[in-house]
Amino acid sequence: MALVGGLMALLLGAAFALLVFAVSKQRDAGKLALRSQEAITAGTELEKTVISLENGLRGYVASGNERQLQPWNAGLKAYGGQVGKLESLVSDVPSQQAQVRGIKSQIDDYVNLWATPLLGLARQRRQVAQSVMITGTGRVRIDQLRNRFARLFSQEQALAVKRERSAEKTSSQAIAAGWGGLVLLVLIAAAASYYLRRSVVRPVLTVADASRKLAEGDMSARVPPVRDDEIGDLARAFNSMADSLEASSDALAERSRELERSNRELEQFASVTSHDLQAPLATISMYAQLLEQRHARELNSGQQLVDGINAATVKARTLIRDLLEYSRAGRGELLNEPVEMKDVAAEALEMLAGPIEHSGGDVTVEELPVILGDVRKLRQVFLNLIGNALKFAEDIPVVRVSAEVQGNTAIFAVADNGIGMDPGQAERIFQPFHRLHGEEEYPGTGIGLAVCERIIEQHGGRIWAQSAPGQGSTFRFTLPVAGRRRPSVASFDGGAGA
Amino acid sequence: VRPRLLIVAAVAAALAGCGGGGATKKAAPLPTITIGTKNFTEQYILGELYAQTLRKAGFRVVLKSDIGSSEIIDKALTAGSLDMYPEYTGVLLSEIAGDRRRSRSGAATYSHAKAFEEKRGFTMLAPTPFSDSNALAVMPAYARKHGLDSISDLKKVPDLRLGALPEFQTRFEGSVGLRSVYGLKRFRFVPLQFTGRYPTLDDRKIDVLAVFTTEGQLSAGRYRVLKDPRNLFAFQNLAPVIRRDLARKYGTRLTGPLDALSRRLTTDAMRRMNAAVDLKGEKPAAVAARFVQSVTSR
Repeated sequence: MALVGGLMALLLGAAFALLVFAVSKQRDAGKLALRSQEAITAGTELEKTVISLENGLRGYVASGNERQLQPWNAGLKAYGGQVGKLESLVSDVPSQQAQVRGIKSQIDDYVNLWATPLLGLARQRRQVAQSVMITGTGRVRIDQLRNRFARLFSQEQALAVKRERSAEKTSSQAIAAGWGGLVLLVLIAAAASYYLRRSVVRPVLTVADASRKLAEGDMSARVPPVRDDEIGDLARAFNSMADSLEASSDALAERSRELERSNRELEQFASVTSHDLQAPLATISMYAQLLEQRHARELNSGQQLVDGINAATVKARTLIRDLLEYSRAGRGELLNEPVEMKDVAAEALEMLAGPIEHSGGDVTVEELPVILGDVRKLRQVFLNLIGNALKFAEDIPVVRVSAEVQGNTAIFAVADNGIGMDPGQAERIFQPFHRLHGEEEYPGTGIGLAVCERIIEQHGGRIWAQSAPGQGSTFRFTLPVAGRRRPSVASFDGGAGA
Repeated sequence: VRPRLLIVAAVAAALAGCGGGGATKKAAPLPTITIGTKNFTEQYILGELYAQTLRKAGFRVVLKSDIGSSEIIDKALTAGSLDMYPEYTGVLLSEIAGDRRRSRSGAATYSHAKAFEEKRGFTMLAPTPFSDSNALAVMPAYARKHGLDSISDLKKVPDLRLGALPEFQTRFEGSVGLRSVYGLKRFRFVPLQFTGRYPTLDDRKIDVLAVFTTEGQLSAGRYRVLKDPRNLFAFQNLAPVIRRDLARKYGTRLTGPLDALSRRLTTDAMRRMNAAVDLKGEKPAAVAARFVQSVTSR
């Protein structure tokens, strides 16, 4: 990429330099054209001086009047400097320099080998000088000089035109080259962005795509590590991450399958055991009753022992029944249909009509949402929670059932004004057969809340208690709302399977 | 004449050799000599002849041809613009020195001219055998018809037509002298341009033509030059006029080759070279080079 950037900078610089070159070339051409004009002007001045030399000379030779020599004297003083100026103006063109040197030597010859001798002759023998002037070389020399000037001027003019043309050509070439450079620059930029897309953006998108698949659970998602640069490193790092993720995910799945199996075995064992225990327990109970009916008179003090057997048998039965209930709560097909929770709560209250009346308490049910789930099991949850609220009352129980919906989840609350409990106990109370109080104080085996937790978890929700001693308790549980988007149902299914 | 020339050439060469030895000892660089010439063919050739000869002798030379008539070139010489130029002895005397006396011989004319130049800081080197004088020429048939041999014989011819350059009519070495020296009073003067002279004679539009004795046209025997027994036309042998200090300083190293050249310039040689340039269109430099080659290889 640095190479491409450098190349682009270089091209930009080159294009810029070419444009500057073109502009300066044009400016130089202007200067040179001006210089040619100046050379022609200086040459014209010099030519005028030569003519005035000749005119002065002729005037004097013809008239012998010294005043006629004035242009000759002025020209004699001036021409050296004028030649120097002309020489400096054509100093860059050898052919023109040679031309000026030729003019200079011809003027020198005109002055030294013609005009000055003729002037000398005129001062002594004016008539001879006049006849020499007519037949002599003066006119020829002047004509030759004028021809040389004409040649110098036409060449200088041609030179100016040539310079202008070549400058125009050079500058248009430079401009074309500058444009070419810019076009090339654009092409390279396009190529570079294509290369960037191809070599950086696309591989990164591939990795992102694979990451999404991985996140969606496709543990086989990998990126082909085709290259040997940073992008290749990224692909390899991603692949190794995916490899270890897949390995640990496989191990996790294996462990959870094992856990599930042992759980199922344990439940089956409990169910079978408790079911099988009922028969011998019934037998023990029957024999104790028979013993009481047929041998009442002989028992006397033994009657107390038989009562003990009966009481223990009743307790064992209760335990077994609750155990069965708990195990049943985690087993069997779970219905997945819309449930009107308001109706479910009403059914539970109907079933608890006796205890409610007995306690003289007040149970209110507010507006409850429709959720997805199994109506029989959810009724059990209300039965247990409201039942507990009535049971653990301090005074006249006041129970309030309510719910609020947050997104796809409904949060239900069963609040009471009962005895409450230590916040530290709030988690342990969901363990099976865990009790906070003696059976004499509050009857029950301590299976109710464990059953509730199982049912709620089966529905993909969770349950927790908030309480303090003497402050009452609030039990809250979450359930998926019905009639909303499918994903909530899907996640519910996932929860059920786990 | 030839054996004497050879001896002179040998002596000159020996002296030049000695001078050369001395020069190398002193290691004095040879000067640049500026030669000027007048503005006609013979002078162009002479300029090239002397220039090339000096270059062969090791001098650097600047040749300024086409300067102008004697009066002008003399002023350029005395002003220091020139170091040397080839001059005709008679012209030098009459036009520069202002000496109108007629010398009896070419040698006398030369010595007067040389004396004049030496008085003012110049000198004349050895003169040429040829003399480029004014002369009168006629067609050979015409000469036979009228029995013409010298200028005096022209008096016999009636209705004589004389063609010449315009200035001939007013000059002593022209119409004026012809009348006073030869008594030739009855002729018609026809002024001519320089290039039109010989064709006019060829076409019989004139009978006599004023010529210069070394002109190329005279070399082939197509014309008859009339004798000048009374020396109306001055001797015009040629010699280089040169700064005396230069001639003294470089001695025979400078003058030897020039003198050797001048002594070889006969009328015939000069006519042929003039003809090569004027009639065959050769370049003066090339014609001169051939001649210089023939002189130095001898």
